[in-house]
Amino acid sequence: MDWLALTLSLQLALATLLVLLPIGIWAGRKLAWRRFRGKVLVEALLALPLVLPPTVLGFYLLVGMGGASPLGQWYEAAFGRQLTFSFQGLLVASVIFNLPFAIQPMQRAFEAIAPEVREAALCCGMSPLRLLRRIELPLAWPGVVSALVLTFAHTLGEFGVVLMVGGSIPGETQTIAIAIYDRVQAFDTAGAGLMSAVLLLISLTAIGLSYFATSRIGMSRRG
Amino acid sequence: MAEPAAGLRVTIRQSAPIALDAELACGRGEVLALVGPSGSGKSTVLRCIAGLHTPAEGRVECGGETWLDTASGKNLSTARRRIGMVFQSYALFPHLSALENVLEGMDEPGSSKALERARELLCKVHLDRLELRRPHELSGGQQQRVAVARALAREPHVLLLDEPFSAVDRATREKLYGELAELRRDLNMPVILVTHDLEEAVMLADRMTMLSHGKSLQSGPPLEVMQQPATVDVARLVGLRNVFEGEVVSHSRDDGHTVLAWNGQRLRARLQKAFPAGSKVAWSLPGAGVLLMPRDRATSAGLDNPIDSVILKLVTLGDRVRVLAGAPGASGAQLAMTVPRHLAERYALAEGQALPLRLRGEQIHLMPADARDRALASA
Amino acid sequence: MNLPVCLRSLAVGLVWMLSCATPAWAQVPVIAGAADLKFALEEIASQFKQDTKGEVKLVFGSSGNFYRQIGQGAPFQMFLSADEGFVFKLADAGKTVDRGELYALGRIVIIVPHGSALKADGEFKDLSAALSDGRLKKFAIANPEHAPYGKRAEEALRHAGLWPLIKDELVLGENVSQAAQFATSGSTQGGIIAYSLAKAPAVAALSDLALIPDAWHEPLKQRMVLVKGAGETAQNFYRYMRQPAARTIMKRYGFVLPGEQ
Repeated sequence: MDWLALTLSLQLALATLLVLLPIGIWAGRKLAWRRFRGKVLVEALLALPLVLPPTVLGFYLLVGMGGASPLGQWYEAAFGRQLTFSFQGLLVASVIFNLPFAIQPMQRAFEAIAPEVREAALCCGMSPLRLLRRIELPLAWPGVVSALVLTFAHTLGEFGVVLMVGGSIPGETQTIAIAIYDRVQAFDTAGAGLMSAVLLLISLTAIGLSYFATSRIGMSRRG
Repeated sequence: MAEPAAGLRVTIRQSAPIALDAELACGRGEVLALVGPSGSGKSTVLRCIAGLHTPAEGRVECGGETWLDTASGKNLSTARRRIGMVFQSYALFPHLSALENVLEGMDEPGSSKALERARELLCKVHLDRLELRRPHELSGGQQQRVAVARALAREPHVLLLDEPFSAVDRATREKLYGELAELRRDLNMPVILVTHDLEEAVMLADRMTMLSHGKSLQSGPPLEVMQQPATVDVARLVGLRNVFEGEVVSHSRDDGHTVLAWNGQRLRARLQKAFPAGSKVAWSLPGAGVLLMPRDRATSAGLDNPIDSVILKLVTLGDRVRVLAGAPGASGAQLAMTVPRHLAERYALAEGQALPLRLRGEQIHLMPADARDRALASA
Repeated sequence: MNLPVCLRSLAVGLVWMLSCATPAWAQVPVIAGAADLKFALEEIASQFKQDTKGEVKLVFGSSGNFYRQIGQGAPFQMFLSADEGFVFKLADAGKTVDRGELYALGRIVIIVPHGSALKADGEFKDLSAALSDGRLKKFAIANPEHAPYGKRAEEALRHAGLWPLIKDELVLGENVSQAAQFATSGSTQGGIIAYSLAKAPAVAALSDLALIPDAWHEPLKQRMVLVKGAGETAQNFYRYMRQPAARTIMKRYGFVLPGEQ
């Protein structure tokens, strides 16, 4: 059992969650209630990682933030190290790759709130913050939980992008999914099997939690 | 209109997404019914007052404050306008109890004063024992009362009710009418009630504005609008089925009547000098103004106009019979009336039968001729 | 959730992100080794730890991939390539301390899993027969485009005149380790992999092997080099590779040491 790789994966998943929680809520709300030109295009772009092969994303990330790119060079000048082959680079890739997993369930949950309920809240004189805190989030929390859980599980399993952008450096970018790949190549079936089982269990729990939370979206309207 | 400065004045104009050209005004403590068929724009007008929709052009003033003025670019957000709104579906916060719902309408929901006041309001709408129930645990009528209490909790400068009774059954509705009538005695703000039901308007409102295709057609006390519609459109909207074309022959001030030419005969109507002799007019007569001629054909009293007709259609609806009678002459005019069933049976009314009628001249109401009708007639 | 909480979670995330930064790799150097060194280098590294208390982290992959990654600034401090060409290219690009040195000569073998329809014949006679009589369905080698062991396998097959026939039945491993995986998994009839991998107990237990004559391909001149900015431990490891302890291990895995041809 490669504890270092597991810890790294958990750190990456948690960091991705923290970044995507506010982004998901903000974007989920806007997409649920605003109509604007090009909204369909925005939604399609955000959903792209669902169908995009991870290697394609990895490729564009390498081009976009690699050592030769303006972003990569700025980063290196500012922080003294490369963005690619680093944990931070993985975090960037992970955030982009998880956008649909974070945003879509939240968007659906916000959409499920009857527009009249929000309007009634405005008529009650609620500020946008109070509206969010007191009405929207309590009604949409199953979607938020579902989004977070899905993002967490998806990040744990991320392989293609990590491989291309990360370089499999132990303690830095060698996540548990990469470690499993590594164990197989080392003819260590037992080690690979143990780590795979752990990942399977975590993923199953995550999906189960997510479905349970989603099934409660309808229920929360009745309290 | 009492105290216009403290009341509500609204002007709205736009062409999309729904055409509107409406004006209305409502004083403090007054109930104005906004009536019209579905799609007439009533809810949109209400939403404009609430700030949930901004028209292309418009002005909303309430209690001396300007809430919306497209000309100067002023547009207060909904939360900053002091409005109390009761939605058609009540829009209660499903995860909060009745008490919490009402508390949210207040300025400082956390304070003990607010709690007291919220309890008082729930008492006022007879829901004091149900304050901890969630909306899904309350009946339709109870939910509506919570919605009203929440709207009042805001201490609004105007109370907006969007077809608040349409979602409940008849018995509950009757009860709620009574409660609203009671409640409004304590309200000292303008109240706008949107409804498609004229009877509701008659029962609850001091004044009404008739809206059709986004245009405000007539404003006034409900009975006045119903009995004295300003135009043929309004006449049709208030349900008058007897609307015809005619021509003013003369006015007789001493006898107090106007002579009207219609269908080749002369009718005497209530004196309405506004229409000069010789002018083409439209006229309406409520179904109650069409009466069966008594068998003995005694001379009719007052301004009754005897007329022969033939029964074209009889439709029995419960204990009443709807009669469609054709007036003589080539015009093909059809008179509509309702006869109690026992009477219809007594006179053995049948289709094709001759039916002598009398038209009550006191109830004949003159209106400007409908240009469209004339165009249709000549086509 | 209101704005302050949003900001707080973002702040925590950022702080933490940055804290995940330097410690790991700066303290323990990461060494890139060609896939054929998988077992040999791990043994050498643990011996290194015993002898000098120094610790290194090993990452294995195809030499071509490492050449590309180091070229893009990947934080490896030392590179043991299976093909000296990659080292020279890196040196020319100014990424390395010097032009490195030869540390071993590699050999390729044909390997067949137990129970395969093929026989382990270093001169490909059985392979040739298997190709004609249809016994051969799939054959594994490393990808010749960036894995030196794959390139040599291709050269050997071409030398035997089998390349045109066999190239459509090939399964390409991303590096020679993966090729070894494919060759022994039972889903192929066998393959050509590194001698050093075939000798590893884990692999030897599953298969039979036969050396391929080294005249049939370009020599596998395996060269190692320190990357610019390499720290003290990496430099120690570089020197340790020349020590008898390390060389003995390399010999045990079938490598031919420079100066002992």
